[in-house]
Amino acid sequence: METRNETPLILIIDDEESIRDGCTQALEKSGYSVITTADGRDGIQIAREKKPVIVFVDLKMPSISGMEVIDILSQEHPHMVLVVITGYASIVSAVEAMKKGAYDYLPKPFSPDQLRAVTKRGLDHHRLTLEAHRLREEKEQMQRSFITFVSHEMRSPLVTIQQYMEALKAVAGQCLTPEGLNMLERCDQRISGLHNLIEHWMDISRIENGSFAQNRELLDPRTVIRQSVDEMRPACERRDLVLRTNLTEDLPTFVGDEESIVRVLSNIIGNAIKYTPSGGHIDVAADCDDHYVIITITDSGSGIPADKLPFIFEPFYRVKGKAEREHGSGLGLTFCRKIVEAHNGMIDVESEEGKGTTFLLRFPR
Amino acid sequence: MTAKKRILLIDDDKDFLMATKFILEKGGYEVFLAEDGKTGVEMVKTVKPNCAIVDMMMETWGEGFNVVTKVRSSEGGKELPLIILSAVDLQGPYQSYEPSDEFPKVNMVLHKPIKGDDLVRYIEQLTSSE
Repeated sequence: METRNETPLILIIDDEESIRDGCTQALEKSGYSVITTADGRDGIQIAREKKPVIVFVDLKMPSISGMEVIDILSQEHPHMVLVVITGYASIVSAVEAMKKGAYDYLPKPFSPDQLRAVTKRGLDHHRLTLEAHRLREEKEQMQRSFITFVSHEMRSPLVTIQQYMEALKAVAGQCLTPEGLNMLERCDQRISGLHNLIEHWMDISRIENGSFAQNRELLDPRTVIRQSVDEMRPACERRDLVLRTNLTEDLPTFVGDEESIVRVLSNIIGNAIKYTPSGGHIDVAADCDDHYVIITITDSGSGIPADKLPFIFEPFYRVKGKAEREHGSGLGLTFCRKIVEAHNGMIDVESEEGKGTTFLLRFPR
Repeated sequence: MTAKKRILLIDDDKDFLMATKFILEKGGYEVFLAEDGKTGVEMVKTVKPNCAIVDMMMETWGEGFNVVTKVRSSEGGKELPLIILSAVDLQGPYQSYEPSDEFPKVNMVLHKPIKGDDLVRYIEQLTSSE
């Protein structure tokens, strides 16, 4: 990366010797360092090695065209200022070059003053671009540390309250009536709920600002399903629910973050457990079509009214009047949708009141 | 009657220290408190505890790790049973904070908040071999 105090380096790529010499003279006189070359390929090589601040490129050159040079350099070095040198007749191509990423153009013939004016403008543009880039990174970094900071500040008091309740049980537990102990237990559960809410909120904030740690690897749908099913099986057994899997042989893999996908599945199975009466069942199945790996989670629960279905992925949306055994964070399904969408997948829900609900997840194979 | 075993708690959250102190005293231990890492490292030498419990996230990220390193390299700290307590899930985004191979070994990593019975049982395990 070039430092600001150094003399700005300018590269001229033009097959006309007179232009190269003229530009060099005019720019060196103003205190810039100049390198020139007559060949486009050569120019790309020099730009890669020396990282000039501005590159002037002639559009019409014998070997590789200026347009190609612009195309390659603008992709490789987004901060490099590219200026097209062109004859009056090819203004149209200058416009095209600017679409490809050139910053400005300089029509031939031009005077040294014009050249210096364009150069100065290019340098200013470069400085501002770098500055904007730096500020944007700083802002993103601040957002990231803000989430970490806030979460720590929110979690610490909860942890301490829970530890005090443990202390209270240890110190005074024997003096408490079963009723009193039950109250402590309820407090503990509500605080755990708040804890989960903070975790979910943090995850969603991280997904939104792109700092959610995501590994991209090839996942076998059966592996992730087994993990979440194993995780949720004890909870199912406690509620006297049957948890079954039905996985097609030879399922294709899909790209994703194993931990997140397992959490999404566990979350949805957890929801099914909440809304399915004892004695019911939850089925997890995996299949595929030409484009997607499809995972479905079906329960024999109370179902969701049709008019409420479109809203269930919204943060803190609750289906009113539903017999919920315990309160969730209200962010679980929002989290699921964000994760699935971050995998370019889709999440859908079908439900019939009194019969059950099916969640359908599609991941590009 | 044998002397009570000494437990040193190092944590920058005063309330957490107090709560844990109650639990451990009820469990029959003598408890010493340090509110910052430096004091904690000093107290390892003066108190000569049978076990030390260090919060991972004191003051700044990973301060607890520094404390563990210093304790391990100090006199009498090499064999001291050490527990790291952390409110941070050592999974997922924080995986990088999991102690590496070069990191001085702690005997146990526990998650905050911790059930009173569990904490007492773990300490019992760690200190009974002495």
